[in-house]
Amino acid sequence: MRTLWHIWQTALGEWGGAIRSRRALVLLVLYLGAALLCMNGTISVLGRMEKELAVVLQLPDSDETGVVSASLWKSKPFNRIVRSVVGESPVLDDISGRHPVELIYAWFVFLCAPLLTVLVAGTRVSEDLRSGAVRYMLVRETRLEWSVGKYLGQALMIAVALVVSAMGAAVVAFCRLPSGTAASLFLPLLNWGLRAWIYSLAWLGLALGISHLTRSPGRATSLGIVAIGLFGALPPLMDFLHSFHGWPGVLTHLRMLVPAGAEMSLWRFSAVPLLSGSFHLVILGLTYLMAGAAFFCRRDV
Amino acid sequence: MIGFAIVTRNLVKRRGRQRALDGLSLSVPRGAVMGMVGANGAGKTTWMMTVAGFLRPDAGEIDLLGNGPFDATRHGGRVAILPQDSELPLEDTPEGALYRFGRLQGLTAAAARRSVRETLAAVNLTDRARSRMRTLSHGMRKRAMVAQCFVGRPEVVLLDEPLNGLDPVEADRLRRFILSQRGRQTIVISSHNLEDIERLCTHVAFIEKGRVTRMDSVASITHATDRIVFTLVHEPGNIAALSAAVPGASFEWRAAERLLVCTFGDEAGGVAAVNRRLLPALLAQTDVLAVASGLSLEEAFLSRSPTVV
Repeated sequence: MRTLWHIWQTALGEWGGAIRSRRALVLLVLYLGAALLCMNGTISVLGRMEKELAVVLQLPDSDETGVVSASLWKSKPFNRIVRSVVGESPVLDDISGRHPVELIYAWFVFLCAPLLTVLVAGTRVSEDLRSGAVRYMLVRETRLEWSVGKYLGQALMIAVALVVSAMGAAVVAFCRLPSGTAASLFLPLLNWGLRAWIYSLAWLGLALGISHLTRSPGRATSLGIVAIGLFGALPPLMDFLHSFHGWPGVLTHLRMLVPAGAEMSLWRFSAVPLLSGSFHLVILGLTYLMAGAAFFCRRDV
Repeated sequence: MIGFAIVTRNLVKRRGRQRALDGLSLSVPRGAVMGMVGANGAGKTTWMMTVAGFLRPDAGEIDLLGNGPFDATRHGGRVAILPQDSELPLEDTPEGALYRFGRLQGLTAAAARRSVRETLAAVNLTDRARSRMRTLSHGMRKRAMVAQCFVGRPEVVLLDEPLNGLDPVEADRLRRFILSQRGRQTIVISSHNLEDIERLCTHVAFIEKGRVTRMDSVASITHATDRIVFTLVHEPGNIAALSAAVPGASFEWRAAERLLVCTFGDEAGGVAAVNRRLLPALLAQTDVLAVASGLSLEEAFLSRSPTVV
C-alpha cells in the first residue's frame, strides 16, 4: 500500500512538474498538431485519389471522401487482388470494411507514437539525475518506486495527449466530411488513440529505461532515437533473413522482443489477439523499464 | 547508555584509483549536532552521500538508526539530507515541493501543510512559498533546500554546507534554527566555516584523506573546560603570582597575539573558579581585554595531531 502511495505521489509530481514547465503543453501540441495535420491531409489526398480512381475505374463519382475506397473494399475482385498481394491475413479480415480515413489515421498515430514518446519522455530520468533532484526523492522512497512513478506519470500524460489528439482529429473529420460519416468516425478514432497508447507504453518503457543509463538528457534522447531505429528495423530484418536464408525459425520469434513485433495485434478486432497483444506490449514496456531501473538501483547517484 | 544514530565502521569508497573514504569510522550520538571538518576532498560529502544511500560503499559497515544501512523502506522519512550540488525541481514551488516530500514521508495532508508552513517560516521563505524555484535567488533556493530537511521532523538530518551562499542575516537565522533543534534531532553538518561548527555543534570530527583523525565533543577538542585564554594589554611580569593563585596551572605567553594561555586540571575546580582566582592577580599586573575559555575550533583544527581514531 505504501509502495503504491509512493508511486502515485511520484506520478502526481511528474504531472505537476510537466504542467508547470509546459512540457505537458508541448506534448499536447505535438500530438494534436500531428493528428490535425494527418487527418486534414488524409482527407484531402484521399479525396483527390478517389476522384481519379472513380474516373479510371468508371465508378460512380462522389464528393464524399472514402466512398470510392469503401466501394473498392466491397468489390470481390479487388478484395481477391489485395489478398493475393498481402496474403491471407487475419488483420486484413479485421480491418477490411473500415473507413479508410480511420485506417490512415491509425497508421499515422502508430507511426508517430514511438518518436513522440522518446522525444518527450526520454529525458525525464536523466534530467533529474543531472540536476540532483532525484536525491531529494530517494531519501523518501525506493529507487524502484521512483522509476515506476515516473513511468506512470508519463503514461498518463501520453494517454491524455492521445485522447485529445483523437478528439482533434474527429473535429477535423466533422469539418471536412459529411456529418453522418464524421459522427461514425468519432469512437473509432478514440479507439485507435487508445490502441496507440498501449503501443506507446512499450516505447515509453524503452525510453525511460534508456534514460536511467545516463545523466545526459541529450545522450538519452539520442540513444532513444537509435533504439527506435534498431527496434523498428528488427522485425522486417528477421523476416528477410528467415525467408531468404532459411535461418532457424527462432529468429522470427526474436521480433516479439521489440514493440513493433507485437504491433499488428493492436490492429485486430478480435478480443483474444487484441488483449494478448496489449498484455504483451505492456509487459515489454515494463521489462525495458525494469532493465534500466535495475541498473539505476545499483549505480551511485 | 548513549545510543548512536549513525555508526559507520571502516567505510571505504573508491573513485577510480583514489579512495574518497579510506576506512572511515565514525559514530554520531543520538540527539547530537556533529560537525565534520576537513580539507576539500577529505571525504565529508562522500561520507554523507554514502550514509544517505546515494553512494554504495566498497567496504565497511553502516548502521543507521539501529536498522542497518540506508534503505528507503526502513529509513524513508526518518532521514533527510541537504546534498551538495543538487537542485530542487526548478519549476516547482517551495511549498509544493515540501508538501510532496511531506506526503511521501507519510504525513497526512493537514500535517504536511502545517509542517511546510513551520519550516518555511523558520527559514524566512513564507512570502515566496508559492514562487517557482526558478525565480528565487540562490540564497532563497538554498533556504528551501535546507527547509526540506526539516519537514516532518526526521530523526537524522545531514546538512552539507548549509550556510554557504546565505547572506549574514539569513545565515544567522538559520544558525538559530539549527540551534533550536539541538537534542530533538541528530544533525550532521559539514562546513569549512569552523566558527559555525563551533557555535552549532556539540561534537566534531576531523576528517583527513578519507579517515577520521579526531572525534570528540567540541568542549573537549577546544579545551573549553581546561584552558582559559586572556587577551592582555601587555605581558604580565609576575607569572609566579598567577601560579600561586591557581596551583597546578601552567601559563604560556604568546607575545605576537598578546595572549596568555592558562591550562589547568580538574583539581582547579573548573573555568569559573579559575577565573575568580586568576583575574584579580592578573588585573593587579595589567589590563585584560578579553577572556575566552579554550581554543577556537580553528586553532584546535590547525594544531591537530594526525592521530587516526
